[in-house]
Amino acid sequence: MRALPDRLMSIGCGLLLLAVFFAAWRSHPPHELAPFAQAGPATAATAAEARPQYSSRFVSSELKDFVHSSSVTALPGGDLMAVWFAGSREGAADVQVRSARFDAKSGEWGAEQVLATRESTRSGTQRYIRKLGNPVIALAPDNRLWMFYVSVSVGGWATSAINVMVSDDLGQHWSAPRQLITSPFFNISTLVRAAPVFHADGSIGLPVYHEFMGKFAEYLYLSSDGQVLDKFRISRGKHSLQPTIVPQDGRRAIAMLRYAGDNHHRVLASRTEDAGQTWSEPYPLEPSNPNSSLAAVGTADNGLLVALNDLQDGRFKLSLYGTDAKLNEWRSVVELDQSPDPLGQPFSPEAYKEIIGEGFRASSGARRLPLEQRFLSNLDYRVCKPRGCDFEYEYPYFSRSADGMYHLVYSWNNTFIKHVSFNEAWLAERL
Amino acid sequence: MLSLWQAHLSFILLSFVLLGSLRLTAPWRPWLLPVLALVSFVPINGLSLAAYVRSVTDDLAISTLVLLGWVSLRRLGVVHPLPRGKRAQVWLLFGLLALSLYPATLGLTYVDPYRWGFNPRPMIVLMGVAALVLLWLRNPLGMWMLGAGTLAFALRLKASENYWDYLIDPLLAGYCLVAGCGLLAGAGWRWLRRRPRAGAGRLKPSL
Repeated sequence: MRALPDRLMSIGCGLLLLAVFFAAWRSHPPHELAPFAQAGPATAATAAEARPQYSSRFVSSELKDFVHSSSVTALPGGDLMAVWFAGSREGAADVQVRSARFDAKSGEWGAEQVLATRESTRSGTQRYIRKLGNPVIALAPDNRLWMFYVSVSVGGWATSAINVMVSDDLGQHWSAPRQLITSPFFNISTLVRAAPVFHADGSIGLPVYHEFMGKFAEYLYLSSDGQVLDKFRISRGKHSLQPTIVPQDGRRAIAMLRYAGDNHHRVLASRTEDAGQTWSEPYPLEPSNPNSSLAAVGTADNGLLVALNDLQDGRFKLSLYGTDAKLNEWRSVVELDQSPDPLGQPFSPEAYKEIIGEGFRASSGARRLPLEQRFLSNLDYRVCKPRGCDFEYEYPYFSRSADGMYHLVYSWNNTFIKHVSFNEAWLAERL
Repeated sequence: MLSLWQAHLSFILLSFVLLGSLRLTAPWRPWLLPVLALVSFVPINGLSLAAYVRSVTDDLAISTLVLLGWVSLRRLGVVHPLPRGKRAQVWLLFGLLALSLYPATLGLTYVDPYRWGFNPRPMIVLMGVAALVLLWLRNPLGMWMLGAGTLAFALRLKASENYWDYLIDPLLAGYCLVAGCGLLAGAGWRWLRRRPRAGAGRLKPSL
């Protein structure tokens, strides 16, 4: 007699299960990747007509902070916004994500603002936050400003997760931070460093990398409102990270990667021909890479500009190279900053002070120039170690504005974020 | 606070299962749940205890919550223990899921099974078949673990858009793999003990 109710119960459970799984199936249709957005800069004047322009200035202004990992994006009207992290040292609890705005009319950077702290990240994500790093800012085609940065709850950088904030009014107000879920293993080990790539439907491609046990790069695909939709592996193994991606048309793009292995110490490249879904096996290029971050941006002639430490070891020289779309021909454009010592050997504090003072005056721009004496009297652990004082120019980040100007920011001796800008005419002279 | 419902539930169930395994808590078990619920809200530096645990474990999978809930009911004596064979079915299923997911997250190859959770329709069909098989095997625990995880995925109850994050997490993976290995080791040991000793009966003690 019990067999019938049992059978009915089983049939009921079976129907219920079918309904649940059908609902899940219906609510998650497959998604397709849109092609890369084709928003080339509307150059105001051709290279032949325009006057060559090249200038530099400091973005940051606080003198006592260790500053690092900057990024910049162009805003409508020619203004810029930059973000970086600053604190007593990398990984310290007091590290904040700071920002500053570049006023196109005055040609100078404004005061620093605090954009995110451990406390604001803890409050937004409802998680304990130990440290912050690597902020990345980008303006989407719909004029929403996105800021991604990493945070760590437990352990080192290898256990990072990515947080996101968004602004609908070009950086006046920001949403509370929220954490992206990108990994099945306690959601750890996803970091961001390079500029996002936008797709034609407003979706976002974020170059990310992993550092937990393996070191490899991925392309994280987000909806236009910042939900993680998919991800695609760019590289595998333990030797490549921090991809920087340059779209060439709607489907093709090049990723350049920092090399973290022990063999050839060269920049790696990978290609996609399906808008980021599959990537070729990374291969070494001509320039060297001492396991340091690099940045690339597309040029008007479909080539690339690449800023990198073209060294086997150390970060005492930052170079700018131009290359063709096939990455075969590399031409030096300019040495952006370098140590006077060709091997990057340290200097005595006295000699260093003189050299860096000269560098300061050449780099600071008019608004930060009055800081020189205070800066020179404050040369501390950020530049000087017991064995001597070093020069370090690293972590470049590229952006192009609608007027065709190239904007590059990078860490200048761990003490300032430096901004270099130039136009197509200046580039044409150098290439 | 609503966004943290899962963190609090995880904290309460996880703590109850751990404390409930101690014999000395037996008389107090019915009181433990409300006490742990209150403890989960205790704030430290503006963050609840449950949120601190979540900072380390991330949001647990829904299937893990079902398992913890079932173990909690078992500790309270509300449900009967599941026979070893049915538990082994659960360990086998989630152990296989763990083995197919986690090694690939190390990035040794271009194959990334985590992606299957972002394009989940084939996985949903597969898990649906597995749930029906568990129903046929009269294994309610496994069936509800898959069913509740999938229902939560359909309703988007977690921050993740990935089906895997509703089905499995490292805690569940670790439990299933350890329990599965224990089961295999036990079976191996029993087999070894049952095996007749080589040469037994031929050797006679010399007098």
